[in-house]
Amino acid sequence: MFGNRRSLRELADDDLMARVREGDARAFEVLFDRHGGPAFSLAFRMCGSRARAEDVVQEAFLSLWRAGGRYDPSRGSVRSWVLSTVHNRAIDSFRRQSARPAGSLEESGAAERLAAAELTEVEVERRSEADQLRQALAKLPDEQRKVIELAYFGGFTHQQIAAMLELPEGTVKGRMRLGLGKLRVTLTEVGVVP
Amino acid sequence: MSAGEQMSDRHDCGGDAAAYALGALEPGEAEVFREHLRECAVCRDELQAFTAVARELPLAARQYRAPAGLRRRLLAQVREERAATAAGRAGRTARRPARGLLAAAGSLAVAAAAVVVLELSSGLGPTVFPAQLRGVGGSAQVRVTHGRAELVVRHLSALGRNQVYEVWLQSGTAAPRPASVLFGVGPSGDAQVGIPGEIGHVSAVLVTREPLGGTSVPTAAPVIVARLDKADD
Repeated sequence: MFGNRRSLRELADDDLMARVREGDARAFEVLFDRHGGPAFSLAFRMCGSRARAEDVVQEAFLSLWRAGGRYDPSRGSVRSWVLSTVHNRAIDSFRRQSARPAGSLEESGAAERLAAAELTEVEVERRSEADQLRQALAKLPDEQRKVIELAYFGGFTHQQIAAMLELPEGTVKGRMRLGLGKLRVTLTEVGVVP
Repeated sequence: MSAGEQMSDRHDCGGDAAAYALGALEPGEAEVFREHLRECAVCRDELQAFTAVARELPLAARQYRAPAGLRRRLLAQVREERAATAAGRAGRTARRPARGLLAAAGSLAVAAAAVVVLELSSGLGPTVFPAQLRGVGGSAQVRVTHGRAELVVRHLSALGRNQVYEVWLQSGTAAPRPASVLFGVGPSGDAQVGIPGEIGHVSAVLVTREPLGGTSVPTAAPVIVARLDKADD
């Protein structure tokens, strides 16, 4: 039986979600400990503000708690679901406030605003995969990386990006396609994506 | 356009798959692309490949631990909600007869316009509120039993990729608020989902199609509308 937190930590995400569905707050706690870091990291990258990022993550995980029974494993992993929820909540936040922090697209600027010791960058967990992602992005031509970051982390549509960069919409879409295609090749080579 | 940016000549549907995977299409464009996917295997394959990459993009962000304060607040709220839910169940059980009559009155008001099934002879059965469907196939109803509501859908239209059905609760003329319920349907189009929280002051249950993960405000017109009270009829 899984009567204690340590035993719960040995469960797979799907099994934890089954317990969350039954209202098991300890299982939810384990899921947060497992995915809260990546979720906060994504939200902070997008929002550029610790307070807004925390609000976004809290909203996303409360949604998971309240609607956990609706999680459908056939549509992706728990991590994908959590991160997708965070992504959508952050974009909602942009829309509600009619503004988004341009600085959030530049990680170096955002990182400077993280002063608290508790936000120390994770040194081991996730670092390898994160490094591979960053390296793959860094290999892209600037113009391809830019449109991908504006779209994914900035929440901008291709039309908005085209207007910002003063490019034809077709060019923006083409850069997205080329960029994602190259990322796909690189990430497949290092085994990050199948 | 810089060198090397010529589109592939093997296939060109406008390059929408990459933009769609990144969530960068306008809502109308996304709808058109989802329709296009039904008949274009090349775009389906391309989208699958790009979606796999997009799912990994969050890890390109610098990785941090979640703040301890966030963890404390979140877990405190979860425990509080859990306790409130337990207390609410006890309260609703105690109020069961009154709740049943109230629900019956509401459903009878709806009966003039649609078929309403009432199972009140024992006072224990569900009160059923049929729903109107707009722009989707199938049928839906909200069943209220002992103050607890559930949405039952049959043969509901399939969702597009990266979409989910999201449930909203509306009280009077107030803006719909999220019920924190997301669901999809299998090949049969059937689903049965519980609606958490107090349903007593809710006048309508709405469902919209939203991006995977849901949203905090509806981004599209409701495809399912179930009216629960007489006042709004």
